[in-house]
Amino acid sequence: MRTNIKLAWRNLWRNRRRTIIAISSIVFSVLLASWMRSMQEGSYDSMIENSVKFYSGYLQVQDTAYWEERTLDHSFKAPDELKEKISKIPDVTLVVNRIESFALAANHLKSKPAMVMGIEPGSEDQITRISQKVKQGRFLKTGDKGAILGEGLAKYLGLGVGDTLVMISQGYHGMSASGLFVIEGLLSLPNQEFNNRMVYLDLQTARDFYSAAGLSTSLVVMTKNHYEVKHLKKAIEKILPASNRVMTWTDMQPGLEQLIESDRGSGIIMLGILYMVIAFGMFSVVLMMVKERSREFGVVHAVGMQKSKLSVIVFFETIFIGLIGCSIGVLISYIFCSYFYFNPLPMSGKMGEAYEQYGMEPYLFFSLKASLFYSQVILVFLLSVFISIFPIWNIHRLKITKAMRS
Amino acid sequence: MKIIQIKNLHKIYNSDSVSVHAVNGVDLSFEEGEFTAIVGPSGSGKTTLLNIVGGLDEATEGSVEVDGVKINELSARKLTDFRMKNIGFVFQAYNLVPVLTAKENVEFIMHLQGANKNDREARTTELLKAVGLGEMMNRRPSKLSGGQQQRVAVARALASKPKFVLADEPTANLDSHSTENLLDIMELLNKEENITFIFSTHDQRVVHKARRVITIEDGKIISDEVK
Repeated sequence: MRTNIKLAWRNLWRNRRRTIIAISSIVFSVLLASWMRSMQEGSYDSMIENSVKFYSGYLQVQDTAYWEERTLDHSFKAPDELKEKISKIPDVTLVVNRIESFALAANHLKSKPAMVMGIEPGSEDQITRISQKVKQGRFLKTGDKGAILGEGLAKYLGLGVGDTLVMISQGYHGMSASGLFVIEGLLSLPNQEFNNRMVYLDLQTARDFYSAAGLSTSLVVMTKNHYEVKHLKKAIEKILPASNRVMTWTDMQPGLEQLIESDRGSGIIMLGILYMVIAFGMFSVVLMMVKERSREFGVVHAVGMQKSKLSVIVFFETIFIGLIGCSIGVLISYIFCSYFYFNPLPMSGKMGEAYEQYGMEPYLFFSLKASLFYSQVILVFLLSVFISIFPIWNIHRLKITKAMRS
Repeated sequence: MKIIQIKNLHKIYNSDSVSVHAVNGVDLSFEEGEFTAIVGPSGSGKTTLLNIVGGLDEATEGSVEVDGVKINELSARKLTDFRMKNIGFVFQAYNLVPVLTAKENVEFIMHLQGANKNDREARTTELLKAVGLGEMMNRRPSKLSGGQQQRVAVARALASKPKFVLADEPTANLDSHSTENLLDIMELLNKEENITFIFSTHDQRVVHKARRVITIEDGKIISDEVK
């Protein structure tokens, strides 16, 4: 085997310039493919992060009936022990209670349906960074009896910081709910629907308002990134009572996942085209290597080398070209993508403004997910194996006398 | 002792509408230790005959028996092994592996045979010294002259300790000095190690050295002289 590898290696460099050109074409293609995929996956990561941090979180523990019929009657008791158990699962970074319902928000003249969210201010802020969206007044503190609301709603009702918001609703199990809340702050929320309807209360204040002592509609679970979600879902399910279930961000926002999947599909088509270019480049080099050595193949077979052994040498040559090109390509790509991972590309102009309006950072993010890089190595290896079929087939059909006349 | 026995050998090439009878009913035998030249004009069938005897080409009819083995009845794999163990080849265009040094080219067949490193090195050194290239062992073919390359080819042909060596126009690309030199080496190896050499050639210098001369024309043996 050592001799086969040595022979293959030397054969590779018998036409140094051609081999370097072939390897370079693979390097550039891998670089382009990795860069493209890294940018794509980085954007998805950013979209998912923005989306889950805007509202849903990566996972939510809910009553089994809540998602289909989102009423307070499907809220559940979330004891501190459960929260603690979930918090102790590796990779869980935060567990936060929420109670969500609706109310009629009013001043002395007008009213409007509003979404009410009872939150744990400190923890919630770590998820949604909502305090950064306060434009007037201040953010909530634990135990606050007041409210903060979207600017759109405040504007409609003609209310400002320090004014009193009236809310009327139906509480837990049909209890009537009504209350007066001093407006502590106004929020500028990027989503217009939220901006025009959102009211935030402290968790305890919301529970009191809805007569839902100790109840939550969801426990929001956060982790480092969306790659941890699948295994966390399984881990959380193991410790939940039968009346609860775990929803992931993909369960709660299937549209976002579909959008990403369809975009990823188009990226993979582009990648396919790129790899076809690599394949043809490699194939042309291998074709030349085989054709110009027909006589040599004939001679070594004549003096006693089995065709199978000869095929192994040519197979190694093809694999070497692929793997050398791919390894250099992946190495350069990793350095290149790392730079952009730590220094994302800023987006200027209208695009940047649009991103900011939706509460997203106006940058093109890159991903350093390992699979982006090792998948290139696997792909090029498989491509090399596929391409090597041609010379092996050629060797199999070799006729010594014909080859030696070539 | 007969080492090659050829019986009623025919080779017909069919291309489009033309049939060429390259070897036409040849019956021949070769004894161990012969130094034989097969001569004849271009297209007379010398190379085809040599190719069939060497197991490089298939006969249309007839049989070739080497040391009691009918090589035309061997499978492709066994025939390749048989060539490796029993037959040495010297080609007109040297045909060394360009990416291997002279030493590695000679070692190549012993490698295929699975010989151990010490045996390989000893035999390679001995052979390259015998052909006068002891000082050039580590040169690649591109750094050797035509005559030197052909001497490496002879050393390679002998590396596997073959029963006989088939040399197809071995001097065709050599100058007269290199030809003399190469022939002297082969004659010496023939006499000292009793290695059988069979040449196909046009070269009168080879014919002059040969102890048996077979003349072939239109695929048929027209004379077979032992000097």
